[in-house]
Amino acid sequence: MAGNGNDEIGRQRRKRNLALGLGLGFLVVLFFVMTMVRLGGHVLD
Amino acid sequence: MAFAETTTSSRIATIGDYVELLKPRVMSLVVFTAVAGMMLAPGAIHPLVAFTAVLCIAIGAGASGALNMAYDADIDARMARTAQRPIPRGAISPSDAHAFGWTLAVGSVMVMGLFVNYAAAALLALTIAFYVFAYTLWLKRSTPQNIVIGGLAGALPPAIGWAAVSGSVALAPFVLVLIVFLWTPPHFWALALYRRDDYARAGVPMLPVVSGKATTRRQILLYAIATVIAGFLPAALGLAGALYLGVSAIGGAWFLNAAIAVLRDRDEKHEPAARRLFGVSILYLFAIFAALIVEQLAHVPPLV
Repeated sequence: MAGNGNDEIGRQRRKRNLALGLGLGFLVVLFFVMTMVRLGGHVLD
Repeated sequence: MAFAETTTSSRIATIGDYVELLKPRVMSLVVFTAVAGMMLAPGAIHPLVAFTAVLCIAIGAGASGALNMAYDADIDARMARTAQRPIPRGAISPSDAHAFGWTLAVGSVMVMGLFVNYAAAALLALTIAFYVFAYTLWLKRSTPQNIVIGGLAGALPPAIGWAAVSGSVALAPFVLVLIVFLWTPPHFWALALYRRDDYARAGVPMLPVVSGKATTRRQILLYAIATVIAGFLPAALGLAGALYLGVSAIGGAWFLNAAIAVLRDRDEKHEPAARRLFGVSILYLFAIFAALIVEQLAHVPPLV
């Protein structure tokens, strides 16, 4: 069934996009925190 | 190119396909040996910097695996062991695998350089480049010494871990590098013994294909002896303590026993001893590096 096939592709694509989004979000947090660590403890004061 | 550049219309590549491209089992061994190198290194490291270093080493190893699969897709398709990898089975196109692998490779080196230090980033870049250009593109297809020389790439992670903590490259972590370097031939030649026909069909000049099984069995034993001797060096050079010495002695005896069984095995069809050695070799390496890590966590003093 073409409809079922498209549904399945859409579902797989959404899962992949979610993983990509989570991965990018993780990198944003990691880069921010690592920048704070490298700059030293008082940078947020 | 024998492979479709686009995936089939009924399926797109899943997260699992991309994870498979990273060779997670190889990645776990790389991370494990790198962590041992980090723990032995002098100096202190912020826990988040340590986490980032381990992440970069893991991603760099995964990138190497992905690029290996991208460049070796023609070989993988001809071998039963690898025919179901994501590229030969049509789940991921070679061009997507190249893009994925190179993005992760460049990204992991850049993040290591920016947030950890340049020495660790340079070693990581060297390791990835050696695995992709020297091993995958050149040695694997041209010489039976492919996994001997190419094994250096898989052996370097303890030195990367050491550099991540200390900020420099010293001789001491190369004792661990030497162990993994010498361990690689008996490990992969054991696999090549029971997959000989697979490698022959794919045209990969592994030692059993080029020089025969008898030569390979002797070479396996010689490298296993060298590995076990090198396995004692961390204790002899003051990097490890009594627990490590015990594990390397018992594990080394087990590893040598398995290698001797390969030399004596006459079952050329099923190669049971080689199959056993393949598993034993992994356990041996895990055991001695685990002993190093446990000793550091438990503050066991070095023997000398």
